[in-house]
Amino acid sequence: MNLWVYTFRRLLYVIPVLLGVCLIIYLLFNVVAGDPTHILLGKHATAKQMAELRHELGLDRHWFMQYLDLVKSAFTFDFGRSWSTKQLISSMISEGAIPSLTLTVPGFFISTICAVSLSLLVSFYRGGLFDKFTILICISLMSIPSLAYILFGQYFFAYKLGMFEISGYDFGFPHFIPYIQLPVLIWITLTIGPDLRFYRTVVLDEVYQDYVRTARAKGLGEKLILFKHVLKNAMIPIVTYVVIQIPFLILGALLIESFFGIPGLGGITLNAINSSDFPVIRAMTILSAVAYIIFGVITDILYTVVDPRVRLN
Amino acid sequence: MSQKILEVKDLVVEFNTDRGKITAVNGVTFDVHKGRSIGIVGESGSGKSVSALAIMRLIPNPPGRIAGGTIKFNGENLPDIQMDEMRRVRGNKIAMIFQEPMTSLNPVFTVGNQIEEVLELHQTELSPKERKEKTIDMLRLVGIPSPEQRVKEYPHQLSGGMRQRVMIAIALSCEPDILIADEPTTALDVTIQAQILELMNKLQRELGMGIIMITHDLGVVAETCDEVAVMYCGQIVERADVDTLFKYPKHPYTKGLMESIPAFDSTSGKKKEKLTTIEGMVPSLFDLPAGCNFYNRCVSASDRCRESEPKLSPVEGSHEVSCFNPLSL
Repeated sequence: MNLWVYTFRRLLYVIPVLLGVCLIIYLLFNVVAGDPTHILLGKHATAKQMAELRHELGLDRHWFMQYLDLVKSAFTFDFGRSWSTKQLISSMISEGAIPSLTLTVPGFFISTICAVSLSLLVSFYRGGLFDKFTILICISLMSIPSLAYILFGQYFFAYKLGMFEISGYDFGFPHFIPYIQLPVLIWITLTIGPDLRFYRTVVLDEVYQDYVRTARAKGLGEKLILFKHVLKNAMIPIVTYVVIQIPFLILGALLIESFFGIPGLGGITLNAINSSDFPVIRAMTILSAVAYIIFGVITDILYTVVDPRVRLN
Repeated sequence: MSQKILEVKDLVVEFNTDRGKITAVNGVTFDVHKGRSIGIVGESGSGKSVSALAIMRLIPNPPGRIAGGTIKFNGENLPDIQMDEMRRVRGNKIAMIFQEPMTSLNPVFTVGNQIEEVLELHQTELSPKERKEKTIDMLRLVGIPSPEQRVKEYPHQLSGGMRQRVMIAIALSCEPDILIADEPTTALDVTIQAQILELMNKLQRELGMGIIMITHDLGVVAETCDEVAVMYCGQIVERADVDTLFKYPKHPYTKGLMESIPAFDSTSGKKKEKLTTIEGMVPSLFDLPAGCNFYNRCVSASDRCRESEPKLSPVEGSHEVSCFNPLSL
């Protein structure tokens, strides 16, 4: 079986998963969350007003039709309009995605590359002072809540020292660059601790394998052993960990975006939650589910590239 | 006697553990001769593998270290030379194969790639094309059928025996002077064991390297070795050429080892009914007795054995034994 057939078959599995996810989302919003007309009209709404609104929102239709609408939106990305701003949700998403990605993609790349190379380095000096010191720093970084970094960064580096913009955003390259510097730095600080610890565990799992001893017995140098033999084996868990993070990059960083006034998807989601804007929340939920499923498929396909032992049948 | 190529003298290897320091190898001395095989036999923990790893300087440090003795090779003392010089010896002049062919090869590289790697490292004069050809030649030499196909396969696509052949191909690709084989057949089926040993014998005749065969299996020794050293608790307790040792074992431990192997003695007509075992337990390396390490298990122990430690000394020609009461013929 070749890679294309495998990919196609793997994509077919997406359909039932997506249908199930849509069902759960439907139940969460329409059964658990209660009647949205109460939220929209307030306490003193008349029965007539409520009935009209229910009709307008399509809530009086058969539940199955509503479910089908939801499924349709997962495939067409047509999520209707926002209740509070009346904007098309799809255009809100495509506008918000750009600021989010300009923040998360650089942060993610720098953090991942630093964490993977540092993990190889600390594994090389495992048990030594450098290793212990790095782990100590990781744990300290992880122990401080993210809000502390944001507030400290904004107050000290941006306000006191004037090194960065305090908040705001400007569309278009390269205008956005001054605005994302501090947020990206904070993103890296937040993610490098857990990342490095995970990669270190992965690499240490490999360092004691028999094939490493064989490589030494062949006369290979430690650098080559680490960056060729060990890294390629460690790629299997690393790929999983990296790819599974990508959906979250699309959704942006909730806290960082709202504190820095970046009009990204994270901020949009947060606003929608605050104003009970159900269609927007639902759209973001569907979007993240779809992204998660798609990147799951990509992970599976990458396995076959990274690990020759994964058979395609 | 043929040319001496490796001289191990009074080798001591220590490990630091949570419970204190242990001496895994304590004053081991042996030589390797060109075109000849020396077998190092002993139970698990007797220090035979550690001795072999010490020659390659593959003892994980920490916790282990070579604490004494010399390993003379080509006029140099291996424990003293620089690491990059040692890397030029490893895989090139002295090669090693391991017990676990399943895990000793890197699972994510093709076997061809793993053989070529060692050629690229030590035989820099070869062009990429020549390396590819030599890789296929090596696979053919170790008896892998259709090597042109196999070269592109990954270790998991090969059987255990085939993988050990690949390991041998890697080890021999730079025509080393010495091949260290650490239990090369232990993880294999009996029929495959015989094939691998036969292959090693054949390659030794063709390439003329010296072999250090580490094993707990006296059958392997009988089949492949010219000379044998028996190890117990980090020391060599008896050393002789293979015929002498099997015919006239002098150390009670050696004799015990031999009697604990089932024999199909069809010629003598005598049927053994029960296998002998060596009574007692190997003493802990943390708590070795003052006298002979074998004292508490020995059938011919005397008071002297409890108090002082016997030294390895010649009894007849090259036959050496470390025992105050060696067995008579």
